[in-house]
Amino acid sequence: MIDNNFDRRDFLKVLGWGGAAVALSGCGNTSVEDGKETVVSYVEAAEYVAPGISVYFNSTCAQCDAGCSISGRVREGRVLKLEGNPDSVINRGKMCGLGQAGVQHHYNPDRVREPLLRSGDRGEAITWDKAYALIAEKLNGVSGDQIDFLTGTVSGHTKALLGNYLESLGSKNHFVYEAVSPAVQRAANMKSYGMEMPRFNINKAKVVLSFGADFLGAWVSPVHFSQQYAEFRKGVDGQRGVLVQVESKMTLTGANADRWLVVRPGTEGILAMGVINALGVAGLSLSADVAAAVKPYDKERVSKDTGVSTESLVKLAALLKDRTPSLVLLGSAAEGYAHGSQNAAAINLLNQVLGNVGKTLEASAAVPFPQIAPTIGNTAALRMVNNRLADGQIKVLFTYGTNPVFTAPSEMKFKENLGKANFRVAFAHYLDETALQADLVLPLDSALEDWGTLVAEYQPEGVQISVQQPLMEKLHPETRGMGEILLSLVKQRQPESYKAFDDYYAYLRTAMLKNKSEFANSAMDDDVFWNGVLSAGIINVGGNLNKLSSKLSTNIQLPAPAEQDAKYPFTLIPSVTANLRDGRHANQPWLQESPDPLTTIVWDSWVEIHPKKAAELGIVEGDIIAIESKNGTINAQAYLFPGIHPDAVSIPLGRGHEAMGRYAKGYGVNPFQILDRVFDGETGELAMHETKVKLSKVGKRVIVVKDEGFAGGAQHGKKIAMTKSSDQVDLSEEV
Amino acid sequence: MSVSNLLENWAEFRHTHPVDDVPHDPYKWAMSIDLDACSGCNACSIACYAENNIPVVGKDKFEHGQVMHWMRIERYWPEDGREFPDQGATFLPMMCQQCEAAPCETVCPVGATNHTADGLNSQIYNRCVGSRYCSANCPFKVRYFNWYDYPTTENVWPAEMTQQLNPDITLRGKGVMEKCTFCVQRIRAGERAVKNEGRILRDGEVQTACQQVCPTGAITFGNLVDPESKVHQKWKAQQVELTADEQEKDKEEGGTDLRGYRILEELRPYPSVMYMERVRESAI
Repeated sequence: MIDNNFDRRDFLKVLGWGGAAVALSGCGNTSVEDGKETVVSYVEAAEYVAPGISVYFNSTCAQCDAGCSISGRVREGRVLKLEGNPDSVINRGKMCGLGQAGVQHHYNPDRVREPLLRSGDRGEAITWDKAYALIAEKLNGVSGDQIDFLTGTVSGHTKALLGNYLESLGSKNHFVYEAVSPAVQRAANMKSYGMEMPRFNINKAKVVLSFGADFLGAWVSPVHFSQQYAEFRKGVDGQRGVLVQVESKMTLTGANADRWLVVRPGTEGILAMGVINALGVAGLSLSADVAAAVKPYDKERVSKDTGVSTESLVKLAALLKDRTPSLVLLGSAAEGYAHGSQNAAAINLLNQVLGNVGKTLEASAAVPFPQIAPTIGNTAALRMVNNRLADGQIKVLFTYGTNPVFTAPSEMKFKENLGKANFRVAFAHYLDETALQADLVLPLDSALEDWGTLVAEYQPEGVQISVQQPLMEKLHPETRGMGEILLSLVKQRQPESYKAFDDYYAYLRTAMLKNKSEFANSAMDDDVFWNGVLSAGIINVGGNLNKLSSKLSTNIQLPAPAEQDAKYPFTLIPSVTANLRDGRHANQPWLQESPDPLTTIVWDSWVEIHPKKAAELGIVEGDIIAIESKNGTINAQAYLFPGIHPDAVSIPLGRGHEAMGRYAKGYGVNPFQILDRVFDGETGELAMHETKVKLSKVGKRVIVVKDEGFAGGAQHGKKIAMTKSSDQVDLSEEV
Repeated sequence: MSVSNLLENWAEFRHTHPVDDVPHDPYKWAMSIDLDACSGCNACSIACYAENNIPVVGKDKFEHGQVMHWMRIERYWPEDGREFPDQGATFLPMMCQQCEAAPCETVCPVGATNHTADGLNSQIYNRCVGSRYCSANCPFKVRYFNWYDYPTTENVWPAEMTQQLNPDITLRGKGVMEKCTFCVQRIRAGERAVKNEGRILRDGEVQTACQQVCPTGAITFGNLVDPESKVHQKWKAQQVELTADEQEKDKEEGGTDLRGYRILEELRPYPSVMYMERVRESAI
């Protein structure tokens, strides 16, 4: 690490020089030989650039919203690889595959490189001045309530500036949309615990019972939870943690469970009530109203409804009673139904009955600066914007960090409704499906070229503000950072208030220095403080703890398991995979070629069918299956997957792009498109698991492109991947 | 080492591994992978792509088995015939086991793959003639052949993406075999750095890319002959001997309660990677 006593901006200018030189002479296929390019000597190297020596700069991963702090390896002005920052309480030096691929977001050949103005069905490159002038012109005479922002999750100073810009426009219409988001759970947690996202201490639990929470894959803060999980497996007081996963389709977390319980889709809440009942039978004292509420859920009925054997239920209750503390988690598999809130309430009740609140589930800290605290997305926001568009209430729509044309169910007709706005501006990295519908596309810097701050929703210790700083000079001169654009836009409206800030960097630095006393000793020299912040890449502030309450609510209305629809006999489970999530990173080839952990399939979509069901239907691996819902049909290759309920089929989300770039377009299918329009009764969230489908063979068969060999995951008696039963090992003796 | 020298003194080169009379000094690089911690998330594999300039081959070439992932996660289902895999799947990170008596080394017609003094199975790209005999002889199937000239293949490294390439590592051309190196570039850089201080590497000073990224810390890498190293302590606690083709503990009647084992040990490649068995709870 280089000392901090130099001017970083000068340094970056210097780096830019180095970067340009290396772009010519770096490894790869240069055309130096044919004289098209020149080799620049390093004999007089730029200051702070020692050829051949890597330096590491801390920044923040922006591949998801978990806020992992990263350390980028920079050599000769190029960022080469990202490592985790060991000082970050969120990721402690570790990363996930999605985060590793951040460099492919930055170096992606399909990034938008200049502002594009719609001209017929093509985009015409224009200057930034013209783009800003155009926005001003289009906003002229439009009242604030006709201007909407539809964004993904935002936090930090980008959010603060966005708020200021909206205020200057007189608009209150900021809608935050995330296609895959634990929004139902947040509402349920608010009711049960008095906060949306408490801290979960998997590492302190002896038993974790997870209702479909894929905390090792894509749920909330997977790198953090993976580390907790490793501690949990090593054991609390020498006793190895036991993971029981309840879901209808096996997730990565389910694949790591000691016991994976397959349930009939939608009956997670019934099972939770059944476990409380069984705990009562096993001798755990229940309060009178809880006992009354779970009385109807005796083990025979629960077993009949859920498909979980009475024996498993009794064993599970005994385990939970014996080994405390435990922790009960819930994820999308339990939330995604019309009664998702009720499922969540039942599962939270189980946590409370087990006495985990305050032990393995603790109060999280509140972000002390509300203007930079994260605004978390949900799907209800999409519904509202869609309705406003349909009613012609939106004249100008800005989209940022979200791709609703790709992720909205086709039945919502979002794409058509988008046409009703007069002027659509997309802040975009790629020409994705939404950007293609825009009138004006503003190209964004990559996360590795931009300044910013990010505050994660899930905070494991106090509050960590993750600082984002450029790891190298811009690749494309005509891209801009989101903060930079917002500053320019807000300057249009209020030039006086913002004239002190030449650029977003100046704004950010001033904003941070203003709160210096909150972060450090206020007597500290400004430059020392600021350089320290950039060097660390993170700021930790204590933050007061939210008040944890444990309010028992026994008013839980769980519907009987859904009868099988004669026309559409299968439940469609759109699965969220760790690498592709909602599809925003599908154009990163490492992610496309990284095999799905469970099926090992690459570069394509597939539909998971239980082998028994497939045999009934005469389906074999590679058969192209038409999956038809009320709202459309998609075709995907069949994969026979033992980890799924026979009445369900599953298709992963994230693929099936019609635009975006060379590595995304045309690979796979998009299950978002055929989702039924069913919403959770309480929160209005899209019920992702409520879609019913039927299957038919289209008479074509392909070879499934996958990593698993012809043995199909069998070891044929060889000792390759071995397992021991916990009573055969003594973990306390291990190093 | 010229080829003629190699051929003339073949017996001697072969003799050094693995025996006690010529101990590794000062390094013997080895690994330990805890399958109970491994979640199968694939972060290691992607980190390996990032570190080692591994080409993305695309769907068609993947279908033909031409994928280049040095580090892959194998997924196994239980074979007990039950309707559902109700104890989950088993994930196994598989890469070159850096065998002490590597079956690939003996068959290379040009000595392109051979053993280093610090116990690595090295691959010399510019000596390789692409006979692929090594890959055929590898019991772990962890050697990957360049069927194409990936640096000039469309969309493997388009213009901007070449800037991400790690300059510490060469790009491999068509007709060359490649495989996991235990991130030898990191080891060599580390050795050079501490040489100036007149000492050898301490435990933790060199991490492989897969170890560094692993969110559950399932991978331990280090110097097996350094008693202070974690990997040494783990191998010792698990009673796994590098030079054995059957471990003493496995000869005991009724088996052992230790989790350490090496894959295909009975073939006598003497792998440098010890795995620790996955554990599943008996009470549920």
